[in-house]
Amino acid sequence: MSRLQLKGVAKSYGATQALRHADLDIGAGEVHVLMGSNGSGKSTLSKIVAGSVRPDTGEIVLDGKSVTIGGPQAARALGIAIFYQELSLASHRTVAENICLADLPSRGVFVDRKALEARAAKYVALFDGVTGEGFSLHAVVQDLRADQRQLVEIMKTLAGEASVLIFDEATSALDRAQVERFFEILRDLKREGRSIVFISHRMDEIFAIGDRATVIRDGRIVGSRRISETAPAEIISLMVGAQEEAAAPAQAAPARPAGGTVLSVENLSGAGFSNVGFELHAGEILGFGGLHGQGQSAVLRALFGAGPPVSGSVELGGRPLHPKTPRETIRQGVAYVSGDRSRDGVMTGRPILENVMPIHYLRERMVLANPSALGAKALPALQALGTKFAGLGYPISSLSGGNQQKVVIARWLIDRPAVLLLDDPTKGIDLSAKADLFALIRKLAGEGMGIVLYASEDAELLDNADRILVFNGGSVRRELTGAERTRFNLYQAAYEAA
Amino acid sequence: MSGVTAFLRQPLVVALILIAALLWLGETLSPGFASGQQILRLLIVAALLGIVAAGQNLVILGGREGIDLSVGGVVSLSAIVAGNLMAGENAGIPLAVLACIATGAFFGLINGIGVTLLRIPPLVMTLGMLGVLQGLLVVVRQGIPSGRAAPALADFVSRTFLFGLPGILWLWVAVGLVMAFLLNRTVFGHRIYAIGSNEQAAFMAGVPVKAIRIALFVLSGVFAAIAGICLLGYSGSSFANVGEQYMLASIIAVVFGGTPLSGGKGGYTGTMAGAFLLVILQSILTTVNIDESGRQMVFGATLLVLMLFYGRGRSMRA
Amino acid sequence: MASIEVPARPRSSAVKRAFERYPFLPALIILLVLIALNGWFQPRSVSLVGMTGQVKTYLALMLLAVAQTYVIYAGDIDLSAGAIVSLVNVVIVGVMAQWGGDGVTIFAALAIGLATGLACGIVNGLVVAALRLQAIVATFATSIFFTGLALYIQPVAGTPAPAAFWRTYGGRILEIPFVFHMAALFAILLAVLVRTRLSLRLLAVGDGQQEAFQSGLPVTRIRMGGYALCGVFAAFAAFCITGDTASGDPLVGGKMTLFSIAAVVLGGSALSGGYGTVVGSVIGALIIGFINSLVFFVGTPSEWQNLVQGAAILLALMTGVLVGRRARA
Repeated sequence: MSRLQLKGVAKSYGATQALRHADLDIGAGEVHVLMGSNGSGKSTLSKIVAGSVRPDTGEIVLDGKSVTIGGPQAARALGIAIFYQELSLASHRTVAENICLADLPSRGVFVDRKALEARAAKYVALFDGVTGEGFSLHAVVQDLRADQRQLVEIMKTLAGEASVLIFDEATSALDRAQVERFFEILRDLKREGRSIVFISHRMDEIFAIGDRATVIRDGRIVGSRRISETAPAEIISLMVGAQEEAAAPAQAAPARPAGGTVLSVENLSGAGFSNVGFELHAGEILGFGGLHGQGQSAVLRALFGAGPPVSGSVELGGRPLHPKTPRETIRQGVAYVSGDRSRDGVMTGRPILENVMPIHYLRERMVLANPSALGAKALPALQALGTKFAGLGYPISSLSGGNQQKVVIARWLIDRPAVLLLDDPTKGIDLSAKADLFALIRKLAGEGMGIVLYASEDAELLDNADRILVFNGGSVRRELTGAERTRFNLYQAAYEAA
Repeated sequence: MSGVTAFLRQPLVVALILIAALLWLGETLSPGFASGQQILRLLIVAALLGIVAAGQNLVILGGREGIDLSVGGVVSLSAIVAGNLMAGENAGIPLAVLACIATGAFFGLINGIGVTLLRIPPLVMTLGMLGVLQGLLVVVRQGIPSGRAAPALADFVSRTFLFGLPGILWLWVAVGLVMAFLLNRTVFGHRIYAIGSNEQAAFMAGVPVKAIRIALFVLSGVFAAIAGICLLGYSGSSFANVGEQYMLASIIAVVFGGTPLSGGKGGYTGTMAGAFLLVILQSILTTVNIDESGRQMVFGATLLVLMLFYGRGRSMRA
Repeated sequence: MASIEVPARPRSSAVKRAFERYPFLPALIILLVLIALNGWFQPRSVSLVGMTGQVKTYLALMLLAVAQTYVIYAGDIDLSAGAIVSLVNVVIVGVMAQWGGDGVTIFAALAIGLATGLACGIVNGLVVAALRLQAIVATFATSIFFTGLALYIQPVAGTPAPAAFWRTYGGRILEIPFVFHMAALFAILLAVLVRTRLSLRLLAVGDGQQEAFQSGLPVTRIRMGGYALCGVFAAFAAFCITGDTASGDPLVGGKMTLFSIAAVVLGGSALSGGYGTVVGSVIGALIIGFINSLVFFVGTPSEWQNLVQGAAILLALMTGVLVGRRARA
């Protein structure tokens, strides 16, 4: 019996159609997985159901009755709760306050502190033992780590005691133990007959928790399968679509390139990592692996001069490098691409041209900016990545996520750096953009650039890195070379007790 | 259709349409309001505001709640310093101009340092600086005879200078051209937009964020100082707190010109129109025969209505 | 497996937590130093009489700072707060003059004044939260409107308030100065307000409007609540000003707006919203008061007083922001 039905729901922002036509049917006691590359419309669809986005057309049927969801408040009243991918927490408030924020227990106009804490405690208790250090009802959210914040958002979603729960990438920062606990909770909810919409990019999670998977591509539902009757390959081919299947990730050449050392790091210690050392050769793609948040990003940011101060010694092309600010390291030939493009990469609302040029301005010490001369430099860089855009003058925000990231990467292609640091660069971009990106990286390496790649998806690492350093607890636990680069070895080193 | 709507929603177009409408309204209420001579007079007043607003515009474009509440104080101080140094003599002009620009740059520099190196919110820093400047005005005025504008300066502001237009309007046009060039054709300009739209991303792309932001506050001080000199030329002699009115007016001119207070987008052409719009509005209200209270109520209400033309904040529900 | 990125807390957490919980601590220290200096240069200033005078003069600013705080909680700002003070001031003086100055009339006038403040706050809330205009420019526009209204009611300063009113304000009840009774009453009111849902929700909205909206909070209504509360407290401030100056003046509050913002920041609240306390704002207002008196007591030549006051306030603002951030980092 279906709990929630979407009929022909569509939404467009200006000229971009985020959701073209969505029909969806979610049963009671079902975990319904939504799959699709970024920008395919999953989040838009979720937000429409949760009331924070207004649909252009279409009908939403809840328990057999057609409903109009006027806003997040109305959605809650109808029994719909959502975990927002970008979180919806008040960072200066405590964990308890955040969990109960939407429906504060009160006496008259006053907050009933006791009831508030009692209610919050109930949801915190669900994650007993996996919340990590410093987590308590009274902890202020901004003091928490990323995974802990995500847990708070989950608890907040659960506190809605809704009959329809939507989790939009709720596990992206969680470690394995946290994910497992979360899945136990989801199974309990399922048994209670609640309906769950679950969005994730991790195939293993989807097969672990899902009952049904619906694939959405370019704002259209392209297929729905029972999890028990399908396989990852089928889901992926639905996501990619027949015509794009050829654009699978590039395979790494396993041969060890013979270039000289371009970057050598010794005893590097800083916030989140200690005694990291490695040598990067010209033409090599060095992978950073391990569980999320084991110091990989921190090391890359430190090398780029974007992190807190570090100790240790770094040499770039034989000359000492003191990474203090990105400005200095860029001048010396270091490049860094962050996976968090909206925070570190994209200058929102500015034209594509202005988003491509800043590195060139710096390296050439330019003063004047002549658009046509700059355009001639920007175009080849953008084309090298197969970036799809209408014109250099269009705002970068008019592009899809993958194309935005391509623009950010194109920055570094005008004046070639000696070393390219990639910090989970494919986070949240679609498969074809990933393929374009990895093809380019391999080509750059072939031209002699030294590349460090941290990827949170193991497959990307195994497919693309010539050598993998596995991080655990802030230091390198193991180096995998040649035939050692297997999923098994990677997991073993990653999960080894630190 | 949507192309026309989009065109009509552009801030500059909105401002120009409103300017035309207000001129027509003024002409209807008081024939002669929109005569050439009269418009020229309004433009001179608008130029004074517009030059202050240039600096304000830059600071706001730089984002991170950039705002400069101290511009009014700098305008007043500059007018007094200029008046005292030139003391009615043309020979004193070069020194006065130099001293004023140095003064404006100095206070801008302190604002910029406070905002960037000490990370004091701009509103707080420049508000505190306004208090200091107001105190300084009292000190400077004490014991020194009130200065007078040099004849050449007064002529520059009010008399025809070139092709029938007074010098200050040429100055304003020059400021407009410099601003347009700066913002669109220089790396500095692109960097201003970059830090205004996403400071963290700009930093990661090697933009010297702090240096740029300090420069913006310095420029704001310099523009305010230049406006102060011109104001002295306009009014003949310096008197207390002449610049106070420019504090919020300059912000409104920027907003009416289509630069949102959040920064990162917009430009100076719109601000010029915004400044003119504001001056016309005030002028209409003085033309109409109502008392001060009515004038203020109408002015406040009109500002609110005009703000509605400039698009409201985004709805939280997309 | 716990990730180890971002080491938990570098500083001993007791100090940090104290500053986090009481963001006004730096301000409190500055205030105590200022009071000590006042006492050093002018022993009489810290006597009961001296303190009474100080509170009598600055109670209005304290209340206006509190008013401003509720708006700033939500990340908004109210540049019309001072204009509301002026308007309420002329309204109550006008009503009292019209209806005679006896007790009942005074209370009626205060009720009307309160309603006026509330109405102004609601207008601001409508303009900023419902119409979604930028708070700085929109409340500047309403401030012009309110000032116009005040000028309409009373074009020039000078209408006297009835003696019963200002005598009470400046007098004593049970040997204790009236202003202290008022201060205590307001303290209770603030303590009550801290516990309300509105207070907590304003702070949550200040932490991120979009997030609060997506969480299902009625953001527009909450922000309007903040402006309404601001209007009410601006009216209280106007009552105190009227008691202190004993007359109506259509421009009396104009200069207070910027000081009220300065007081909020001095008190350790974040202008960007989401973080702060009303106690801090009260302390901030007192800091401004004691700076002004100290500058006088140390014998600053009169023409230099404004400059020294301005510089001292700027210094205090900077110190407060810096110390607060250091302590919490």
